[in-house]
Amino acid sequence: MNSNDSTFKSYIEDTELENVSLNDGQKTRLLEGETVVLEAQKVRMFAPLSDKKKGTLGVLTMTTFKLSFASNESEEEGMEFYQSNNLLRRNEICLSAIDTIYQIGDKSKKKLVPGQSVSNKVKELFIVCKNMRVLSFGFKDADKDNGRQIANGLLHHAYPKRHPLLFMYDIKEPYNKPITKEARLYVTAEDWRKDLTRCKAKKWRISDVNKNFSVTLHMPEYLVVPETITNSQISTAARDFRNEGFPVWVWGTEHAALVRMPDLLPSLTDRVQENILITQVHKSHPRTQPIIVDLSRDCPTPKEVQSSYSKLKNLCTPDSVRVYKAQDFKFYGLLDQSKWLHHISMCLSKAVECAKVLVDDTTTVILQEDKGEDMNCVVSSLIQLLLDHHWRTRKGFQSLIQKEWVALGHPFAFRLGHILDPDIEPSFLFLLFLDCVWQMLQQFPTAFQFSETYLTTIWDSSHITIFETFLFNSEHSRFLAGKQSTLRSVWNWSEQFSESDITLFDNPLYERSNKERLIPSTGISCLDVWRQCYFRWIPDLEIRNGGRPQIDICNRFLSEELELLRHKLATSNFNGAINKTKEEKLQILRRVNSFYPFSHNCASADQQLNNQLLLSSDALETQSIYNLATD
Amino acid sequence: MDKRGSLELLNLEGSNYTKSSSFSPETAETRIFSKPENRWGKTSPSKSYCSSSSTSTENVVSTLERHKGNSASGIEATLSNRPDDPPLVLGERVAGQARDVTYLCPYYGPARGVLTVTNYKLYFRSVDKEMPYVIDVALGVVSRIEKVGGQSSRGENAYGIEVFCKDMRNLRFAHKQENHSRRDVFEKLQQFTFPLSHKLKLFAFEYSENFAENGWAIYEPIAELKRMGINNDMWKISKINENHEVCDSYPAVWAVPAQATDDDLRAVAAYRSRGRIPVLSWIHPESQATITRCSQPLVGVSGKRCREDEKYIQLIMDANAQSHKMFIMDARPSANAIANKAKGGGYESEDAYQNAELVFLDIHNIHVMRESLRKVKELCFPTIEETRWMSGVESTYWLKHIKCILAGAVRIVDKVENHKNSVLVHCSDGWDRTAQLTALAMLMLDPYYRTIKGFEVLIEKEWISFGHKFQQRIGHGDDHHSDADRSPVFLQFIDCVWQITQQFSNAFEFNECFLITILDHLYSCRFGTFLCNSERERLQEKLKEQTKSLWSFTNCQLDYYKNPLYWANTHQQQVLIPVASLRHINLWKSYYCRWNPSMRTQDPVYQRTRELLIMKEHMEKQVEESLREQQSRISRNNISPA
Repeated sequence: MNSNDSTFKSYIEDTELENVSLNDGQKTRLLEGETVVLEAQKVRMFAPLSDKKKGTLGVLTMTTFKLSFASNESEEEGMEFYQSNNLLRRNEICLSAIDTIYQIGDKSKKKLVPGQSVSNKVKELFIVCKNMRVLSFGFKDADKDNGRQIANGLLHHAYPKRHPLLFMYDIKEPYNKPITKEARLYVTAEDWRKDLTRCKAKKWRISDVNKNFSVTLHMPEYLVVPETITNSQISTAARDFRNEGFPVWVWGTEHAALVRMPDLLPSLTDRVQENILITQVHKSHPRTQPIIVDLSRDCPTPKEVQSSYSKLKNLCTPDSVRVYKAQDFKFYGLLDQSKWLHHISMCLSKAVECAKVLVDDTTTVILQEDKGEDMNCVVSSLIQLLLDHHWRTRKGFQSLIQKEWVALGHPFAFRLGHILDPDIEPSFLFLLFLDCVWQMLQQFPTAFQFSETYLTTIWDSSHITIFETFLFNSEHSRFLAGKQSTLRSVWNWSEQFSESDITLFDNPLYERSNKERLIPSTGISCLDVWRQCYFRWIPDLEIRNGGRPQIDICNRFLSEELELLRHKLATSNFNGAINKTKEEKLQILRRVNSFYPFSHNCASADQQLNNQLLLSSDALETQSIYNLATD
Repeated sequence: MDKRGSLELLNLEGSNYTKSSSFSPETAETRIFSKPENRWGKTSPSKSYCSSSSTSTENVVSTLERHKGNSASGIEATLSNRPDDPPLVLGERVAGQARDVTYLCPYYGPARGVLTVTNYKLYFRSVDKEMPYVIDVALGVVSRIEKVGGQSSRGENAYGIEVFCKDMRNLRFAHKQENHSRRDVFEKLQQFTFPLSHKLKLFAFEYSENFAENGWAIYEPIAELKRMGINNDMWKISKINENHEVCDSYPAVWAVPAQATDDDLRAVAAYRSRGRIPVLSWIHPESQATITRCSQPLVGVSGKRCREDEKYIQLIMDANAQSHKMFIMDARPSANAIANKAKGGGYESEDAYQNAELVFLDIHNIHVMRESLRKVKELCFPTIEETRWMSGVESTYWLKHIKCILAGAVRIVDKVENHKNSVLVHCSDGWDRTAQLTALAMLMLDPYYRTIKGFEVLIEKEWISFGHKFQQRIGHGDDHHSDADRSPVFLQFIDCVWQITQQFSNAFEFNECFLITILDHLYSCRFGTFLCNSERERLQEKLKEQTKSLWSFTNCQLDYYKNPLYWANTHQQQVLIPVASLRHINLWKSYYCRWNPSMRTQDPVYQRTRELLIMKEHMEKQVEESLREQQSRISRNNISPA
């Protein structure tokens, strides 16, 4: 953009800027228990992919919970229509949402590593979040040293080394909803019992062998095991397994079961204990020999997933128009190199394969993997979504996550990078899973009660260190933390969102009667990029009045109308309540852009077009040359 | 007798195992409520396509055709009683038949059956009664036929013919050497596939179906100009080209600046390649900013100028009071434009055309596009190699070309809509890239063109009347399959339209099936719509009298092409600005990969919305009835006590 040089200079020369004065509504609001760590005046926040000549002047505050930017510019109109979080405002992020911090110099971009401390002056910070959001702050006008202080503050507070440093332990906000109706937690025997009954699994029993976490710290106190096995057999065998685990039932039919277990200790050569347990599993469904699926061999490792995420992230968080253009030019090649869709394809096809064995061959499937807490979670939950419509409702899905991920001990604190640990590196397997679910939702848009907005919101929420759901490595550490702090479940969505925001979690195309088994196409050519989740922070990619939200909203209108008609017919009251008028509906449609209800970038429409147009002047160099003569 | 009417060959999955029982003559509407397991592919999309007759979009059309077959007695009469015989359309006759032919299906393996050649299509039906396998291809779609193997060929299925199609597939048939069936079939195929090389007429001239609508009437140049408010003070309708004498590839009716005299127009024509002078394509209803189109100026190496042309461009600029600047969008890469000077062409120098800014849009020529599509076919047919899919897509360059064209059109729209500038568009001759750009820009600017009939008008106007050389680019009925003039320019335009519909799902009255139907009949030679190179040729050939219009066919069955998400007439004011980024542009798999039975081609969202809409209509009727009942009860009650 050829911005006007004279206006640009005017503020540069004006070396002493006034402090930004904020009214009470604009000031950063603190939660009970939250304290300010640092505050920097006269910081400029730049829009993504902007030329960084202008920017909003405001106050940047780092607290024990969040990074907050406040300015006295009035909010754009129509924002109330977009998703807003009760805990975090539009220009606020939880510290734990930060993935990488870059120090931007005139011609350099330097990644800042946790533990390091920045000693020179910081002019600009570029922050990439785990949900692909980017924030860009300039400190040219700020007080000397503010940039460096913020950088060091973030490096210290955004990457804590110990769990008690998380904000969850400090928050003092009142919370009156300790027991959630929104999901089953699988903490009690009762939840497992309901599942056993529902699945008609007869030869299985609930065992309290892990009462008081006496066998393993990595699994919940109650678990489902073969009917014929004794608790003492389990405790003996568990010693031979990684994480002191053992095979547990997670789902099944009358004829076959889905079982999860970790590998034996790598030091062991003798598989006696494993064989004993598998024999017992076999006894529960004796017709066919159970099949053991080695996920560490057949699926991407956590390390591979993370390196893949990292490449995907680069593709979704360009720091300049130049990079954006260059990436766009080679987009499919870069996407291919990221391998993200390859990994999704692998997980989905593994799940499809296992589902087939379970149902078509009525054969028990035992998922086995390393410590049994990573790819086991992904594949096991996918299989169940394919086979059992119960998990495809919102409550069902939340319960599934509670069971397969939370209760069975996916090490969220390490994998999501809430806590830095030298031994377990971060790996966003949970995002990989959500993306797999999103792919299924694309292929079966009527089979799920929830929307893509819901899935995206789950990913966003998994970095908010107020909610316990995605904060712990195991049920055991959650249990300990619960003794001293309030545990707030992420599933109490009203903690974060208004009623109308929550309404958007529902899928208007959902067909309650759709109970069929899902068999998605898993080839890479049948997969797509989850644009809402990954691209929503790139303003140039927002389609004005277009994209999926338009379809979504149209169908919401339709289902509203159907609901009203149904009501009329049921009550025989044919007058009264009329739906929204066409004009009202149009009003709404006109406000909806392709990243609704998340980012809202239309203010920068001019910029957007500009960047887009720059793209068109790219010559396809390789081809230009050999066809000159024939034109 | 198999009650199947003529399968709309191109709308059908050419290669399907079909259960004959699935061809009961039910309507598409009733099907929406019935849910046999594998019909809508709820459980398993991939599975459903292997076993069920056809996919949703195809299904709809074929069902309709079937319907017509049952109702129109004329068609009924032409249906043969012999099960191997193909269903025929009016004017179609069987030319040859070979038994004991094997179709080598790339997906399901060989299938033995009967191969029939008519003057319109190639039809194969497997002998397997349980799961008859049908191939039904209009010969117009075929670009090349080759014999495979000779008398000495050994090995199973080594001897036969291979048919290469313009719609992204190849078909291979194996013949038995001993029964000499190949020679006859091959000859008949050659003859009817390439009628022009055999001094025969294209099938469109024999096709004699009667339609309730006359599609030839859909586009009336003067009516369309009137719709845009012309004549007005600044623009007039000129009939200087009434006899196609000023420009033989232009239409008879032009809209030109009111101030321009006939002499001016002739002088400008002399300076523009092939006399294709700037004429109006579209005018903004409020700002009066215009889109005009033409061919390159004949600048040449010497840098020739033309006063009249300069004055004429100034007139176009002056016709728009809102702006004193104008843009000339040259669709080509600048290097190509420069290279054209050597051949007498070139581009407008900004010295000569003051107040005009020249922009190159970097869109490549027909040869680059043809090569790119060839790679797409390699990638998509017959099977997809999943692990190499994305790098394959990248290496075809197809999507980059699509992006360039879209970005060019967006740029035009931006100037016209946001800056009230008039834009003049040209490439070299102004009939390929120029048509793509003006038509796309108009589609984005004017909601009328997003209706079914409006889109038909757009094609008639910007493509057909302005002389996109369909005959040359497609090569109807001639056997020069490697002719350098062939190029998928129009396909590329439709692909761009599809990309826009993907970004704005509720802004178009038509659905994907409509676009695919257009493409299928772009090649089929069943209708006159896409025949010939110019309006002049069409008049000479008496196309309107002697052939049917594709729009007659489509407009008789509009329901099948309607988009359930379309917000009828309420979106009017909207200008669409698609995002021309590869991050949003996808390969149109439901077109390019549609022969692959594992490819999901039906859009479940669309399907579900359709269901909901029908449910709504149904319930509204119920409410209405109940209301009427209630009221009549009340009035009865009011009367009876008295």
